[in-house]
Amino acid sequence: MEPREAERRQGGRFTRRMLLLAGVQAGLFGVLGWRLRQLQVIDSRKYALLSDENRISLQLLAPTRGLIVDRFGELIAGNVESRRVLVVPELTKDLDGLLDRIGKIVEIPEAVRARVIRLAKKQSPHIPIVVAEKLSWREFAQVNIMAPDLAGAKTDILPVRTYFHGTDIAHIVGYVGAADKNEVNDDPVVRLPGFRIGKSGVEKGFEKELRGRAGNVRLEVNAHGRAVRKLDQVESARGRELVLTIDHDIQSKVMKRLAEERRAAAVALDCVTGEVIAMASTPSYDPNALISGLSPDEWSGMATADDDPLTNKAIRGQYPPGSTFKMVTALAGLEAGVIDKDSFIACHGGYMVKNVHFGCWRRGGHGRMNVHNAIKQSCDVFFYETANRVGIVKLAAMARRLGFGQTYDFGLPLQKPGVVPDPGWKRSTIGEPWYPGETVIAGIGQGFVLTTPLQLAVMTARIATGRAVVPRIVRPDPDHTPAPAKPLGLKDEHLAWVRDGMKGVVNEPGGTAGRARLPMPDVLMAGKTGTSQVNTASSGRRSHQIEWHERDHGLFVCYAPADKPRYAVAVIVEHGGSGSAAASPVARDIMIELVQKDPVGKPGYVASDTRRKTADGDDPGPATGKGG
Amino acid sequence: MFSEPIHAPQPTFTERLKAFNWLFLIPVAMLAGIGAAALYSIAGGSLEPWAERHVIRFCAGLGLLFAVALVDIRVWIKSAYPVYILAFLLLAAVPLIGVENSGARRWLALGSLSFQPSELMKIALVLAMARYYQWLPPQKVSNPLALVVPLLMVVAPAALVAAQPDLGTAVLFTVVGLGLMFLAGVSWLYFVAAAVGVVSTLPFLFQRLHDYQKERVLTFIDPERDPMGAGYHILQSKIALGSGGITGKGYMQGTQSHLNFLPEKHTDFIFTMFAEEMGFIGGIGLLGLYLLLLLAIVYMALRCRSMFARLAVGGVGLGLFVYIFINAAMVMGLVPVVGVPLPLVSYGGTSMLTVMFGLGLVLNAHIHRKTRFRKHEIGAL
Repeated sequence: MEPREAERRQGGRFTRRMLLLAGVQAGLFGVLGWRLRQLQVIDSRKYALLSDENRISLQLLAPTRGLIVDRFGELIAGNVESRRVLVVPELTKDLDGLLDRIGKIVEIPEAVRARVIRLAKKQSPHIPIVVAEKLSWREFAQVNIMAPDLAGAKTDILPVRTYFHGTDIAHIVGYVGAADKNEVNDDPVVRLPGFRIGKSGVEKGFEKELRGRAGNVRLEVNAHGRAVRKLDQVESARGRELVLTIDHDIQSKVMKRLAEERRAAAVALDCVTGEVIAMASTPSYDPNALISGLSPDEWSGMATADDDPLTNKAIRGQYPPGSTFKMVTALAGLEAGVIDKDSFIACHGGYMVKNVHFGCWRRGGHGRMNVHNAIKQSCDVFFYETANRVGIVKLAAMARRLGFGQTYDFGLPLQKPGVVPDPGWKRSTIGEPWYPGETVIAGIGQGFVLTTPLQLAVMTARIATGRAVVPRIVRPDPDHTPAPAKPLGLKDEHLAWVRDGMKGVVNEPGGTAGRARLPMPDVLMAGKTGTSQVNTASSGRRSHQIEWHERDHGLFVCYAPADKPRYAVAVIVEHGGSGSAAASPVARDIMIELVQKDPVGKPGYVASDTRRKTADGDDPGPATGKGG
Repeated sequence: MFSEPIHAPQPTFTERLKAFNWLFLIPVAMLAGIGAAALYSIAGGSLEPWAERHVIRFCAGLGLLFAVALVDIRVWIKSAYPVYILAFLLLAAVPLIGVENSGARRWLALGSLSFQPSELMKIALVLAMARYYQWLPPQKVSNPLALVVPLLMVVAPAALVAAQPDLGTAVLFTVVGLGLMFLAGVSWLYFVAAAVGVVSTLPFLFQRLHDYQKERVLTFIDPERDPMGAGYHILQSKIALGSGGITGKGYMQGTQSHLNFLPEKHTDFIFTMFAEEMGFIGGIGLLGLYLLLLLAIVYMALRCRSMFARLAVGGVGLGLFVYIFINAAMVMGLVPVVGVPLPLVSYGGTSMLTVMFGLGLVLNAHIHRKTRFRKHEIGAL
């Protein structure tokens, strides 16, 4: 009895405990359900976001950089396809053997080979590694034909920036290179390996237009980062085609002419529109050499080379303008009313200010000078006196009005502003008061005055046209021809007297640059010589007796035709001696080219993307009107 | 008083077929079918390499289930101790002659076949415990001396598998063993005392852990601490589940699992992958099906008259529950990563055969629910 009773009680206990365990199990299932609800219902959005982050990889598609062409469509900078061989480590079992087989077709230097093997070990095996670049068509074809034997190798074609008139136009067009740390900012495309951005010249100044817009492709990737599916793609937009105002033909002739000098610069402007027809600086460099990146040694060799080939002296060289500044003094005097057309100043070969003697370049003196003859013969004393009468403040104002002491924001970076000195400038930079003698010496473009060849060309164009011409390096959109430059507000007769003097410099007997006369009977050139002293001790000695770097700079500014100005040219030959002997023949040769070819008078090239826009004909009225 | 005979006559084979619980096979087959469908999706819409073999193994498992269910229950009660001893010896042999595979030594090689003694022990432990309490007079159940044998039966194999190391199986042995003692009627007081003892020594144990072990515990509490390391799998699993949302991403549309962010997705993380594609609705549906299966087992346990049959059914049910709960709780980040499969759904031949064997035992007990055993039928101890 008792065991059976115990058995029954055990049965009852089992039932209770079994039901209790069933309850616990059901309760724990409830916990699972609650947890599932929390993950899949309440926090679902958060995890959905994480899931997308996990699986979607956004890859940028680099845009093609815009072409750069000259005013007639000659290709200056383009993208040339580089044929490459790459290896994908995961597709080959024997990387060494594969490299050996590729090496039979294309030479693989030992250093490259070592780099490929190192990268293959370091990075994910599905990332391709470049083995050789710039293959000839023959090599490229051979690699492709041998493809079955080269499992794991692949070929592609990548555009590489190439400059077609390398050295001739290097300073204007600049070059591209990988972005450095402080250039990696807004646009993520810059961080793409192999992406190049403008580092100098127009390439830098018009970076935004040339770069284009990056496209992207959204890829679905797995946990190993391998793409499994393309979700969508936004094509990249090619950069704008940039039409320069430069005439490559004249540019290369100018470069050739300047190459006869050791260090020189020249700027040729359309003095009506301000378009830069040519801008040369010698010596120059080959921008193609800078594309792939120089070794630090090569770079420092180039940057510290004698005569500074990397610097565009036309916008970065700052020189005392010497006598080419005398038009500024003359116009300042005329506008201030301290001289007139027929005010005569006697030159006895020197000028005294507070017991300091300032000599004229002609020791014997010029005699009685009016403004016409003073410009023509470049009499120093006339301008000492004029400057003294005008005072430095008005002189500096006129210099700025004619374009000095400033940079021009037209797409050429790294310009220097030069110096237009006045008492305020001296106090803030040197910390000393202004002395009257400094006004006198500034009147002939010496002392503190510093200008760039570009500014000299702008000054010449402004005097020639009487308008506030500003330089331009890129041709305007044909639909948006810019308004002509505003008048300077100088009296026409004052400008006419100064121009007349400049015409005399070249064309009248006794002018300082008779040798610069144009060989064409119907075109006259107006100009002005300048010889700026580098070292005061050198004055009076003959050029060949002095060290090259102590010789005077020779300058010449000019425009033509004298009666209907179209082209303005400024030339500086560093340490070339007198402006008349060293610079004026160079300027004359440039002007002959300009006048003979007359690039401004010929129809220019219109950028292909602009043309397409007009051809689409959204607005046929103006389009047909322009076509005529 | 003699309302029932001391023992009912043993049922004939036809009677056994009639008493077979055919309804029970419905949730079992549904779960295996869900497993096959999920494995088809994981393979990217292919029967290879998992779905087809899963179905074949399930069919083989069904054969085993019928065989186990339809033999006389006395075969099981008589073989309980010998099977346990065999399983224990094999388990003890693993550290000596076992095969090592990815850091754990769990397998014995039999010619070209490899075999895990711990799987055999899962069945053997249930049989042996049930056999012991069938023999033990009810009034002696809470006698301290009577606790020694069942405790040894549980602790010895649990310690051996924990050393392999196979934490999941060790937990299974412990929970199933202690659960069976509880069901057999061992006094509450022992369980309360054991619980107090464990809880009070936990902080002390944590102090004595190595730094990397502490790190593992902390990472479990907050997987974001180490998203690329130890917490990676759990975080990825939670992302997959969470991004599935209420209705899921659609069959074969799961991104996390198909893109390989999910580890072991065909075995331990199959629940994640299923709930990513089928959403909260699918996940709750699957859990509901499991609960139905477990409650059916509880129902069958309650209808058995012998302690052997009750504990065999209860033990198998507990074991299934432990696996289901640990697996689901793990992929949801509720318990640490412990490699246990989801019964019937996860891919894996051994697991499938063990589960089907266990379910066969449940059905066998159900067929013999009215059987009582005479002392001479079982022998001593």
